[in-house]
Amino acid sequence: MDLSPVLDGFGVVLEPTNLLYCLIGVVIGMLIGVLPGLGPAATIAILLPLTFGIEPVTAIIMLAGIFYGAQYGGTITSVLLRLPGEASSVVTVFDGHALARQGKAGTALGIAAIGSFVGGTVSIVALSIVAPVVAGFALDFGPPEYTALALLGILLVSTVSSGDRLKAVVAASIGLLLATVGRDGFTGAERFTFGSLDLADGLDFVPIAMGLFGLGEILHNLEERHRAVQAPAKVANVWPSRADLRRSSGAIGRGSVLGFLLGILPGGGATLSSLAAYALEKRRSKTPERFGRGAVEGVAAPETANNAAATSSFIPLLTLGIPANATMAVIFGALLIQGVTPGPQLVSEDPELFWGVVNSMYVGNILLLVMSIPLVGVFVRILRVRATVLAPITVLITLVGVYTVRNNVFDIVLVIAFGALGYLMKKLGFDPGPLVLAFVLGSLLEESLRRSLLLFGGDPTGFLTRPISGTLLALFLVVALLPLVRPLVRAALGRRRAPAPTDTHHPDHKELV
Amino acid sequence: MTSTSRSRRGLTAGLGLVTALSLAACGGNLGGGDSADAAESFPDGPITLLVGQDAGGSTDLIARALADQASDELGVPITVENRPGANGAVAAQELAGAEPDGQTLMTFVGSLAYITPLAVSEDEAVDIGDYTVVTGISLDDYVLVTSPQTGFTSVEDVVGAGRPVTFGTTGVGTGSQLSQELLFAQAGIDATAVPFDGGSPTLTAVLGGQVDVGAVQLGEAAAQIEAGELVPIVTFAEERPQYLPDTPTAVEAGYDVPVQQSRAIVAPDGTPDEVVTRLEEAFQAAFASADYQAFNEERLLTPDEIGGQELQEQWTGNLENYRSLVEEYGIDLGGGQ
Repeated sequence: MDLSPVLDGFGVVLEPTNLLYCLIGVVIGMLIGVLPGLGPAATIAILLPLTFGIEPVTAIIMLAGIFYGAQYGGTITSVLLRLPGEASSVVTVFDGHALARQGKAGTALGIAAIGSFVGGTVSIVALSIVAPVVAGFALDFGPPEYTALALLGILLVSTVSSGDRLKAVVAASIGLLLATVGRDGFTGAERFTFGSLDLADGLDFVPIAMGLFGLGEILHNLEERHRAVQAPAKVANVWPSRADLRRSSGAIGRGSVLGFLLGILPGGGATLSSLAAYALEKRRSKTPERFGRGAVEGVAAPETANNAAATSSFIPLLTLGIPANATMAVIFGALLIQGVTPGPQLVSEDPELFWGVVNSMYVGNILLLVMSIPLVGVFVRILRVRATVLAPITVLITLVGVYTVRNNVFDIVLVIAFGALGYLMKKLGFDPGPLVLAFVLGSLLEESLRRSLLLFGGDPTGFLTRPISGTLLALFLVVALLPLVRPLVRAALGRRRAPAPTDTHHPDHKELV
Repeated sequence: MTSTSRSRRGLTAGLGLVTALSLAACGGNLGGGDSADAAESFPDGPITLLVGQDAGGSTDLIARALADQASDELGVPITVENRPGANGAVAAQELAGAEPDGQTLMTFVGSLAYITPLAVSEDEAVDIGDYTVVTGISLDDYVLVTSPQTGFTSVEDVVGAGRPVTFGTTGVGTGSQLSQELLFAQAGIDATAVPFDGGSPTLTAVLGGQVDVGAVQLGEAAAQIEAGELVPIVTFAEERPQYLPDTPTAVEAGYDVPVQQSRAIVAPDGTPDEVVTRLEEAFQAAFASADYQAFNEERLLTPDEIGGQELQEQWTGNLENYRSLVEEYGIDLGGGQ
């Protein structure tokens, strides 16, 4: 492997502007991580237009910083206030807050910060090795491969994501339908445009993301603002004891690997991997009863895993152009705005951007590690800013922002419409994530499928004879059939295992699928 | 443009108009509309130059290069505003609704006027006759490229392959599609069009051997051609572009398919002659600047700085020519497939 582009990437990161934006990104990330409700996808969507005038690499460094920074910030409120700032820190509440009540809040935060740092760093190293390998297949990825990949992605997004599976499928289907709007790229025929030129190119991704994530979340949060903020626990002695470190080192190691692997999967990501890592530690532990009562492993595992996953979810985006989760979908939009099409050619055609962004994560993680403890007090105080002040400002930024992307008033109308939809979805328990992801993957699926059929002269067996698309389709079948087969397997296993339920379990992924 | 599409003018245009009117009122030009007045006071404040494509693309860069120079000449700022959508039809619609006082202009792409109408329904087609053309700008050439692995170096090779071929286009209703459809129809090659979303994905498909050949704009393929990763077969220029002197044109190879992307500065219909003349002078001065000429070289653009009248006739002629060729060979750019 040629290391010089990797080293050049460090040169890019160390430019003062990029360092500054990296810092801004991780600080914003921690900040919104602290604020319950406003997640990284929403924040990045709202800030998209501001990145317009910045260099692409600088912009993506900042947006990436927001994403992994949020994973650090989410921990703070989980531990101190029993109020998870992010979905990916929900499980941290159990043991983190228990520790805080025992006067060991510092230990919990310290372990979380160390775990996050290790998880993030392991994941970046793995990403640096894996990404160029995937990208090496760049030119072998033609329309049939993208068809199979998009199919697999949509399936995973709607079945693997956390939350109600049926509702995820419904949301994904709406996303697929929305993707069909616009002038047909193959025949020039108008589809669902109602004669409007504004719809001729289809719905733009940016207003959809800004509406569903940004406006929708703000509206939904306003409804829930009545929660009183209790006084945070005192933080003392952040350095975890040697015993705590020893106890959590295994959890940190396993969390890194699990987080990395789950982050790559479409539909995976930080939340799922934090749940999985927590479950894995609890299952492995010889004293599972300690969990929920202040076990350091219970903080270390999910916090490590969510950071590792946040980092590794960049792999499918940067190497294949397939966003693995909602936040990546928004960053995908950011890259497109900047005139950069993410895909297998990115590593070779734009090494500065690729390695600049990847390497900025090392710097960002160090910044976060250094900042996370001293800034705890400041961030907790921010929770006292009233939603009635914050919300209108954010809405204003959103609406002005979306206009500046294309100078089009129609986009403001779209944001408001999708904001209303996002609010209703949240209220009814639908996750907008699958909708947005299916919207992105839907156009890819349709176009690649039709292109492939043109190439094959209309013969669909062509998909099976090409090695990459054939493999991906086989994988698709496995994932699709798994839920049907699993109860049978489990029943069979259960019968055999029943006599000896205390077997030492090897790590398996059962409750992930 | 038909009256229905005028009435469908977006909110944007409406707002723009309101802003323009209020600006005019502030400037004390309360008489408004009178052509002699307009010509005397022109330019009255900043000029808006609309671009129907995304920021960063060829058309956008050309507009920005010209805006810098022409604004020095006119003594007012020229702001480039991107209104991407429907290959420029969104911007063209806004231009049609703007006040014809020379304060709102557009960098028009030729394909919108003479190729897209062949692919979309009649009421969406843009008619260049509904506008006043200030000046032509430059020509961008399409080049037919292939990967070295196919072994093709000339159109004869493709014919001689004796098998159906696939060709990548940069989209439906583009010069890339029209030029190849015409070439393969005239050469009697059984060929299937595979539309991609723009030049870069088309190139990737050709490089990866997903399609046999593809046509993209010269500037997009120049680096790969030079590196030997792509083989140029023909260009679709009228004359060999200076940037690719060793590659024959399709016309030389015996096929009647001159297809180029032309660009022009266009004003709303009814813009006073004096204003058009003043603008033309300003843009001619911009063309003459060394910076702009260096820009053309760098982007592999061939200057085509002809007068508005001439350009309008050329574009209308192109449309008629292509329409009859397409009918003659039974090509359907849209629908059909």
